[in-house]
Amino acid sequence: MKKILIIDDDITFLKALSAKLELLTYQVITALDGEEGLIKTISEKPDLILLDIKMPKLDGISFLKKLRMNENIPKIPVIITSNLSTIDKISEGVSLGIKGYILKSNETLDTITKEVQTILNT
Amino acid sequence: MTTVTTIGILVLVGLIAIFAIGLSVYFVFKNYKAKGILEKRERDISRRMYELAILKELGDRIGYSLDVQQIIDIIINSLHQFIDYSAVSYMLLGPEKLIFKMHLERSVHQRFVIDIKDRMLNSLSALLDREFNKKNVKEIISGAIIIEELYEPVRSFFNIPLVIDEKVVGVLTVADTKIGLYKEEEMTILYKIIQQASKAVTSLQGVVKTEQAKVNAMVESMADGVVMTDIDYRIMVINPSARAIIGLPKKENVTIFDFIDNLEGKFDIRGKLEESVKLNKPFKSEEVLIRDKFYKIFVFPVKTNVIRGIDEKDAVGGVVIFHDVTAEKSIEQIREQFTSMIVHELRTPLSGINKISELLRGGPEKIKKEDFDEYIRLINVDSNGMLELVNDILDIAKLEAGKFDVKKEPVDIKKVIDNRAEFFKPSALDAKLAIRVAYDTELPTLVPIDQAGIKQVLNNLISNALKFTKANGSVEILIVRHKKGIKINDEFARLPTKTALSLPEDKFVNMPESVVVAISDTGAGIDAGEIKELFNKFKQLNTKSETGIKGTGLGLAIVKGIVEGHGGSVGVVSEIGIGSVFFFVLPLN
Repeated sequence: MKKILIIDDDITFLKALSAKLELLTYQVITALDGEEGLIKTISEKPDLILLDIKMPKLDGISFLKKLRMNENIPKIPVIITSNLSTIDKISEGVSLGIKGYILKSNETLDTITKEVQTILNT
Repeated sequence: MTTVTTIGILVLVGLIAIFAIGLSVYFVFKNYKAKGILEKRERDISRRMYELAILKELGDRIGYSLDVQQIIDIIINSLHQFIDYSAVSYMLLGPEKLIFKMHLERSVHQRFVIDIKDRMLNSLSALLDREFNKKNVKEIISGAIIIEELYEPVRSFFNIPLVIDEKVVGVLTVADTKIGLYKEEEMTILYKIIQQASKAVTSLQGVVKTEQAKVNAMVESMADGVVMTDIDYRIMVINPSARAIIGLPKKENVTIFDFIDNLEGKFDIRGKLEESVKLNKPFKSEEVLIRDKFYKIFVFPVKTNVIRGIDEKDAVGGVVIFHDVTAEKSIEQIREQFTSMIVHELRTPLSGINKISELLRGGPEKIKKEDFDEYIRLINVDSNGMLELVNDILDIAKLEAGKFDVKKEPVDIKKVIDNRAEFFKPSALDAKLAIRVAYDTELPTLVPIDQAGIKQVLNNLISNALKFTKANGSVEILIVRHKKGIKINDEFARLPTKTALSLPEDKFVNMPESVVVAISDTGAGIDAGEIKELFNKFKQLNTKSETGIKGTGLGLAIVKGIVEGHGGSVGVVSEIGIGSVFFFVLPLN
C-alpha cells in the first residue's frame, strides 16, 4: 500500500482529500505545517508528498529547500497543492524539482487523485 | 600842389590797398580757422559714428557670445576706419597656450612682427606678474604680406590691457612704422570701446554665473542622478546623486568608464548616448536594477544654437537622468502581494467547501456519521471565515471610496461593550482565555457613537487579542473617561484591573475630553519594527497566531477607518513576550 503525506494547514482540504485517497486504499498521513511535515517525511518515508505553500512555522518552499539539502532523505516526488497562483512561487518550486503544481481551487478531488495515481504508477 | 595831391592820393590808395589786403588776409584766416573747426567736428562725428557703429556691430554680431576672442576680432576688423596703423594685434590667455593674432594693414618686415610679439609678451608679463614661455604661443597673422626687403622698425605703438571681470585676459596693440602717430585722442577712443565691450562681457558673464550657480545648485540637489557628457563622452556635469548611484560618492573625476564598469552591462550608457545624439531622439529605459534600487533611465540629446546661429543646431553632447522608482516599485509589489493574498484567502475556504461537497455528492450513505458531522462543521467554519473576509474587503472598499457613513447617536457604550464581551466568551472559553471588562466610574451614560461601527471595531480588536494570546492568558477590555491635562495612566489606575503596558502619555496630553477604550492582552506582542505598518491595509504580519489562525491584516485598517470617522484616533503599545494594548479614542464633543 502506497503512503501519501499531505502537508497543509487547510484543515478542510486535508480532511476531504484524505477521505478521498483512503477510499482508493492509499495510506494517508497528514501534517499541519512544514516542520511537522519534515519530521513525518523522515519517520514515515512516504511515497509521495502533497505540499501546500502558505503554512505557519515552515512554508512549502522552505520545506522543499530543507528536504533537498538533507542527503539522508531518499528522493520523494512532491506535488505542490496551493491556492497561490503567483508565477514566482511556481517557478521556485519547479527549480526545486517538483513533479507538479496543483491550484486547489481549479481542481476537483477526482482530478487531484488522478494526478496522484499517475505519478505513483510511473 | 599836383605832386602833393598825387602823393596824397597814392597814400590813400596805399592805405586802402593795405586795408583790403588786411581784410582779405583776415577773411582767409577766418575761413581757415572755420575750416579747422569744421574738420575737427567732422572727425569727432565720424569717431562717434565709429564708436556707435562698432558697438552696434558688437551687439549684432556677437549676440550673447562670451567669447572674448570673437569680440576682439570684431573690434579690430573695423578699427582701421578710425585709426591709422601698420598692424593691430592681440594676445589672449588661452586655456593651454597664449593666442597671438596680428592683422596687417600694410606689409611689414618679419622683425616688426617679432618686435611687437615681444613687446606684447612683456606687457602681459608685467600686467599679470608672471613669466610666459615664448614657445607656448599660438600665432595667427592675417592681412597684408610680410616682405623681407622692407625693413621699417616699430616707431609708433600703444597697448591697451583687456580686462574682463577685473581680471586681465590679454592685451591689444596698435603699431605703425611711421613716427609720432598716436595721440591721447586715439588711445582714449579705443580704450573706451574696449572698456564698453569688456563691461558688456563682464555683466553678461555675471548673469551667466548667477544663472549657472542656480542651475548647479538645482542639479546638485536633485534626487535624480544627472550626468551630462560632450560628444566625445567626456563628463561635463555630474551631480552627487549620479555619483552615489554608481557607488562612487567621493570620486572627483568620474569618467564614462566608471559608469560602464559600475552599471555592469545592465545599461549601455555609451551606446544609448550615441544613439540619442545621432538620431536626435530622447530615450527612456525600462526599470533597471542598479545596486538594490530600481531606476528608469532617460537619455536626451543636447543641442545648442549658440555656435552657428539660430537655425542651425549643433549636437554638443547628451544628458542621462537616473530616476529612482524603487518606492513606486515597492508599492506596486505590495499591491500585488495584497491582491494575491486576498485571492488565496478567498480561494482556500471556497475550494474546501467545494471539495467537501464533492465527497457528500457521492452519497451520504457511504459516509460515517462522525465524518459527516465533521464535514458539516468544516463547511460552517470555512463559510464563516469567508463571510468575514468578504465583509472586510467590502468595508475597506467603502472606506476607500469615502462611503463609510458614521451615524453618531447617543448610545450607552457600556451595553455595547458588554454585548461584545458576551459574544466572545464562548470562543475565549474554547481558547482557555479569560475575558474581563472594567469601567471607569466617571464614564458618561451616553456617548455619541455609531453603534454598528463601534461593534465592528470591538469585534476586530477582541478577535485579534484572542487569536494572538496563548491558553491561560487574559484579555481585558478597559474604558475610561479622559479629561484634558490629566495623565491617561492615572485615569486607567482608577480601574480594578491594569493594562498589560502603560499608555503613551504624550499622545493624550492635549487631547480634549473623550472616552478611551483599551483592549489589553497577554499575547505574543508585536515587534517594534512592525508596529508602524500595523494599521496599513496592505500590510500583513508574518507573525502566525498561536492557534495557527491566519489573518488578512484588514481588520486593523478597518478599525482605524471607523474610529477616524468618529473624529477619534487609534494606537497600540506592545512588547514581545508581555503583550499588546490596542486603544481607541472617541471624542465626547
